[in-house]
Amino acid sequence: MENDELIESFFEEMKANDQNLEIPPFPEKQPKKINWIIPIGIAASLLLAGFLFYEKAPEPEVPAEVIIITLEEGPNQEQQFKITESTYLDTWESSTSSLLTEF
Amino acid sequence: MNQKTLDLLLKSHHREAYLWARQCCGFDSELAKDVLQLTYLKILEGKAKLNDPAKAKTWLFSIIRYTAVDELRKVGKLVSLDESPELVDLPDTVDYTDYEGIIKLLPTMQQQVILMVFYHQLTIEQSAEVLQIQLGTARTHYARGKKKLKELILKSQTEANHGK
Repeated sequence: MENDELIESFFEEMKANDQNLEIPPFPEKQPKKINWIIPIGIAASLLLAGFLFYEKAPEPEVPAEVIIITLEEGPNQEQQFKITESTYLDTWESSTSSLLTEF
Repeated sequence: MNQKTLDLLLKSHHREAYLWARQCCGFDSELAKDVLQLTYLKILEGKAKLNDPAKAKTWLFSIIRYTAVDELRKVGKLVSLDESPELVDLPDTVDYTDYEGIIKLLPTMQQQVILMVFYHQLTIEQSAEVLQIQLGTARTHYARGKKKLKELILKSQTEANHGK
């Protein structure tokens, strides 16, 4: 076993010498980083697109004027229609209100 | 085996794995770093799987050795077994403190068996598994390597004593 002792001693010295060797660090796994720029960019694009293409609900158009048709008695006792235009209605009388009073 | 256990196992063998990679690369530290990286990559990508956790060290050493052979072939430094001559004559001078230089004087297979047994405390059977050779062949490399290494050590010691 003398052979082995000689060789073992040789390797012990070699190992001691190898203690000076620089051992590269163990490659640690990097935790997955979320690149926030991409989702933020997508959200901003969607927002912008929504803002640009958003259509307002059409508002009902207000009639430009009111047509008032009245039946008036002319100078020769004849009935005639009088048509006037206005933007608003001052008073309103039911066309059948006379039935309540004159009947 | 889950990823965390595998990471811990590799981490626990990291130092020895690097030293073995370096020895497989003819003591080239930079090439050894590349070999170790490639070895870890093979393992993490599932190209090399550990079936028996009890044989983790043998398994890791085996992957390192094969990766080193591939890399040495790429850089044109691979000496095939046919070209790795048996040491016939001892060199004129042998420096006892040049441990790596002395080991490099042995044929590749003898170097590796001797390093695995004496440096890394593997058995000859485990060395045979790493080298994927028959146990009888591994024993032959071991016996021849030990004999030649002893001659080299004695020669270097004699020279060192005469030099004093």
